[in-house]
Amino acid sequence: MSERELGRKLDRCLADGVIKLGTGLGLGIVFSVLFFKRHTWPISLGSGAGLGMAYSNCQNDLRSHYLLHRNQKVER
Amino acid sequence: MAAKLLPVVKLATKVGIAGGAVYVAYDSGLLGGSEQGSEALQKARAAVPPAIEEWMKYFGLQLPTIPNIEFSPVQAWNSGVRWSISRLSEAPTKAGEMTTQGVQYVRELLK
Repeated sequence: MSERELGRKLDRCLADGVIKLGTGLGLGIVFSVLFFKRHTWPISLGSGAGLGMAYSNCQNDLRSHYLLHRNQKVER
Repeated sequence: MAAKLLPVVKLATKVGIAGGAVYVAYDSGLLGGSEQGSEALQKARAAVPPAIEEWMKYFGLQLPTIPNIEFSPVQAWNSGVRWSISRLSEAPTKAGEMTTQGVQYVRELLK
């Protein structure tokens, strides 16, 4: 992986992390207010799940460079 | 009759709001892959200033124009890293010089 490609992937990872953390936080707040009597745990669960999704996406993105993809021709 | 229906209606409203929130998040690609996420972030950043302007017009307020601050976190971080590493690489030389200066100073004091 070239440095430029790695830099772009890391930028995407960071942006994705911010988005998913915010989304998880927001959904956690919505659920906490509506269903769980304003407890804190849905908010923590939502933020944690968001961060976990971002981590998983980043992991797959960084690994995809070293995997052989179905749309690539295998030369014999 | 109405007293029995009210909790059901409340629950249905809450489920509707929560389900709508989850659907909006899913539909705008916030829960998808990393490319969709960064696209959504770019769209949000582009949409914020016009949205603020519209709201200000609606309320008839005049916010003082926010000066266009040319601040790039990436540049700030990179220059910070370069500064730290250059200081670290100069540190042994500087330490040696300061030690000799200190020793000289003490010697002159003791004369």
